[in-house]
Amino acid sequence: MNTSAKKIVYYFISGTLILSVFISYFFNAPVTIAVLSSAIRQSTPLVLGAMCGLIGERAGVINIGIEGQMLFGAFTGFIVSIWTGNLFLAVCAGMVSGLLLGLFLGFMAVSLHVDQIIAGTVINIAAVGVCGYFYPTGLSVSNKLQAMSIPFLSDIPLIGPLFFSNSPITMVTILLVFFLQFMLFRSTWGLRTRASGEHPEAAETLGLNVYTIRYSRLMAGGALAGLAGVFLSLEAVGTFERNMVNGRGFIALAVMIFGRWTPIGSWGAALLFALTSALQTQLQFSDTLHIPHQFTGMLPYLMTVFVIAVFMKRNNPPEALGMPFEKD
Amino acid sequence: MMIKNALVMMAGFWSAMLWTVTACAFSVGLVTDVGVIDDKSFNQSVWEGVQAAGLNLKAKTKYIETRDAKDYSSNISLFAKNGYDVIVTVGFGLGEATRNAAAKYPEIKFIGVDQFQVSAMKNIAGLIFHEDQAGFQAGTLAALVTKSNIIASVFATDMIPPIVAFKNGFEKGARYINKDIRIISSYHPGGLDVAFTDPEWGASTARQAILQGADVIFGAGGLTGNGALVETASHKGRYCIGVDADQWLTVHSARPCLVSCALKKITPAVSGLVVMAFENRFPAGNYYGEVGLSSFHEFDKDIPEDIRKKLSVIEKELKEGRIRITE
Repeated sequence: MNTSAKKIVYYFISGTLILSVFISYFFNAPVTIAVLSSAIRQSTPLVLGAMCGLIGERAGVINIGIEGQMLFGAFTGFIVSIWTGNLFLAVCAGMVSGLLLGLFLGFMAVSLHVDQIIAGTVINIAAVGVCGYFYPTGLSVSNKLQAMSIPFLSDIPLIGPLFFSNSPITMVTILLVFFLQFMLFRSTWGLRTRASGEHPEAAETLGLNVYTIRYSRLMAGGALAGLAGVFLSLEAVGTFERNMVNGRGFIALAVMIFGRWTPIGSWGAALLFALTSALQTQLQFSDTLHIPHQFTGMLPYLMTVFVIAVFMKRNNPPEALGMPFEKD
Repeated sequence: MMIKNALVMMAGFWSAMLWTVTACAFSVGLVTDVGVIDDKSFNQSVWEGVQAAGLNLKAKTKYIETRDAKDYSSNISLFAKNGYDVIVTVGFGLGEATRNAAAKYPEIKFIGVDQFQVSAMKNIAGLIFHEDQAGFQAGTLAALVTKSNIIASVFATDMIPPIVAFKNGFEKGARYINKDIRIISSYHPGGLDVAFTDPEWGASTARQAILQGADVIFGAGGLTGNGALVETASHKGRYCIGVDADQWLTVHSARPCLVSCALKKITPAVSGLVVMAFENRFPAGNYYGEVGLSSFHEFDKDIPEDIRKKLSVIEKELKEGRIRITE
């Protein structure tokens, strides 16, 4: 397919999607809103995790440890919320804990030149161990982050309840997607990030410090993964369980690749994945259609495979991805 | 030198372990299914039963959390090789591994919770429950308290027969009260490795059901079900029904909605079986534990007399076999 034909297909598909949303809203508003808002909610940890991954990978470091960073963020947020009772403080603590794990990943991958896959795996295993060991049983937080409505905007039909009447982290995530897209492709910060991921030698020759860039990007990404964890423990569920991340960190990695290492692409991929996941639940809810739920359960994955097979002929990961950079 | 030190230390460690085991007269080991010991429902109830028996008999009790289904038999044999007298395995999934171990270690008594025994072996007691009856009672309660006539249920997986029985009972019970009630239910789409440990999936599914008008949510299946309960608690005027244990005591954040729980009285049954093993009157084959609804706790005053009466009549009729639940 050439580019213009591809564009037409893209427009056609997104047009059909939007049209079908309107049609189903017309026929059954509560169900449409239920499915779509469930999709937005389920996409939140995925897109935050994907953004964590892509900041690191754009700077040249593979981050397999998103799962662990999310778990640790969820745990720290939960503990701090119990200690202090202050949710804002707890969210910050969760982000800082993710950031520290990002620093740790940087230390292993950038300074020690450890194989990056192994470095990430270390984080995953360590997070499970540490959280399991220090997890105090029988505690629960007094309150969780509640949904809030933005005046006026939340009164718009369909759009309002979906985007402007949500819990804080969900809303912040959507803003972050656009902010990061801008930063990555329209700012010096982003140019430097991409330079150290595409051609670190050239970046170093031009006077940039690739080590600092990689360190700082991994830390920024870690903070986002921490936020994803906090979303799970303090906004979505309101409690901590030891394996509550349940593979979302790895799905986030797939979402990142699916979204071609861009924030907006990842958001779209996460939304598509979450939408099919919400749809499969809705299909199970239906008492007229009796599709075995094993089939509907395949939907999100089938959809992903289909889209990747059809639309993604070439993948362009950053050129220097996964290669430790050695200073002369 | 270092290696030698390490070896000496390890030898010391193991002999200390063995010493603690052999020093006690009686020892009970517990192997969980994939999941955590403090899941606030199933595993936890079994563990409490083991501990209660342990306190009673001054026995040594220990547990192993299974991380991966591959490790079932190695976890069991860890206890068997250390000379434990009774090994409790929790969950349908361990059924086969338990039977294999029982054949290999005939002198050890095994208690298989949720493991139906097709043919009796003299050193296994399969502790099972009439989940469909517990689910039936939960379903009748849900149908009696709903105002919107839409009720929902969030289940972990249909690969575990007790969960399927809960679902079947719940739906039959609700329809027993109101033929036209709308029941929206769903299973976690993942495999056994994730289905019980995904509170966020349970929560978002419960929310999806609530946004469509469901006002009673039945959450059954480890942490996934607990997620559904906790989510329901943050919506005003909705009820939730827990499962297995009295989750009022364990899932604190579900209290604002938790009207009752479909109980499998696991703790007394397990501690009873351990005591029977100790006293050498171990029942081989299948052993049925009791089921029922927990108390209404804080909602006690909201449940009117006629609903209570109906529930107790149904409970009685279920016990006497006058209400039969079809598959």
